[in-house]
Amino acid sequence: MIIEILKEYYPMLFKGVGYTLLVALVGTVIGLLIGILIGTYRTMPKPKNKFLRAMKRVGDFLLAAYIEVFRGTPMMVQAMVIFWGFALLNGGATLDVTVSGLIIVSINTGAYMAEIVRGGVISIDSGQFEGAHAIGMGHGKTMFYIVIPQALRNILPSIANEFIINIKDTSVLNVIGFTELFFQARTIVSINYQTFATYLLVAIIYFVLTFGISMLLRFVERKMDGKKNFKVLGSQNMDADSFVREEGGIG
Amino acid sequence: MIEDTSANILKHADENDSADIHTDQTIIVVEHLGKSFGDNCVLRDIDFTVEKGDVTCIIGPSGSGKSTLLRCINLFESPSVGRVKFHNEDITHTKRPDEYRKRVGMVFQQFNLFNNFTVLGNCMVGLKHVLHKKSNEAREIAMQYLKRVGMESFVKAKPRQLSGGQKQRVAIARALCMSPEVILFDEPTSALDPEMVGEVLNVMKQLAADGLTMIVVTHEMQFAREVANKVVFMENGVIVEQGSPEQIFMHPQKERTAEFLRRAQ
Repeated sequence: MIIEILKEYYPMLFKGVGYTLLVALVGTVIGLLIGILIGTYRTMPKPKNKFLRAMKRVGDFLLAAYIEVFRGTPMMVQAMVIFWGFALLNGGATLDVTVSGLIIVSINTGAYMAEIVRGGVISIDSGQFEGAHAIGMGHGKTMFYIVIPQALRNILPSIANEFIINIKDTSVLNVIGFTELFFQARTIVSINYQTFATYLLVAIIYFVLTFGISMLLRFVERKMDGKKNFKVLGSQNMDADSFVREEGGIG
Repeated sequence: MIEDTSANILKHADENDSADIHTDQTIIVVEHLGKSFGDNCVLRDIDFTVEKGDVTCIIGPSGSGKSTLLRCINLFESPSVGRVKFHNEDITHTKRPDEYRKRVGMVFQQFNLFNNFTVLGNCMVGLKHVLHKKSNEAREIAMQYLKRVGMESFVKAKPRQLSGGQKQRVAIARALCMSPEVILFDEPTSALDPEMVGEVLNVMKQLAADGLTMIVVTHEMQFAREVANKVVFMENGVIVEQGSPEQIFMHPQKERTAEFLRRAQ
């Protein structure tokens, strides 16, 4: 039964999977970039100039409001408000559904990522900041070259989490007619009336997607940790073997 | 008339001298520096001068404000009162501490190597992204200084794969790569076991012999005695006594200095 549905409707399902992956991937990546920018901004040292300090406080407030509002309302509602709000402002012309979907998932993920990145930055030892400042790096360079790369490694499990959540939660975008997997399933059911079989098939597809991604990201994590051994170059006068340390239990 | 003028100039010069002992050789002058954290006054009225080629050792019991003083010089802490002058320019409240820190290196007790870079990367990142050197040139410079501290065979290692002494030598190479005019050492051997202390001190001795200007906060009295040309003894946030190693170690003027040295040795 399931196989038959798959055989008959695979082009539609395939399209649904494509859009779901697209919006989840783009949403997670852009959300992460938003999170990194906000994390860098919020950890900036206090400006000495009074005016700049006031501006920074206004910025901090706006960002806090953004995070709280987008974390505090359902994405389905956000999708409706943004999609129809845009239409209202443009005299009835709606924004392209795909573009809307990408925007909604990105800024929604950004709100969560901002907090995740902040947690990652806090987890980095202050010595890393001081080491960078001591060789003349300002806040931006310190964050970009030293802190964010280390923070990203630490928050990779949370990023994977967000990605998986996004794959599942894009299903709410069906309310604005976005042709992701769930939307396609509803369409198929309206044709073949095989509600249980169709949704079971879709459930399996969702699971394959999310499980595949969690495997992939675990692989990336291991790659990021790098090799456990390193080569000692040249022989020197020392016993080189004793310096090739096997490393246990770190990372 | 002419005589008058020249006399005036001389007089003027004299006044200058007494008010400001800056010479071409002077790199850092700390004037009346004080620092409090809330009600807690950590440093009071600190005055000292660092000339080119000086090896200044700051000694004293724990909690005497030595590290805070070093961190004030590097502007990691903002002094509450007083000034830090770099080449006769007041940089205490500079808007660009990063520009100043390019020229004043620092080595930490906890090494603070960048965990996301290899040994070579640690040395190259500043050359590339702060001094804007090309990759090739940065690598050459980094290798040159890694050789100087005897760590050139470990370029591919990550910090977590090194021993404490090795980490500290890499940290010194990283500071040297920036060609700073002075390097501040904040208890560089305090986190090391006794066997590793030697390898780091040897590197520092070599640097001192090569004429590098250094300010060293340390508990290594032997090092201070042998290598320093100025010793500053601090306690409770004030400089109790400063002078040549001979003055401080052989003929301390203050009873407190003598007592500390008796116990430390």
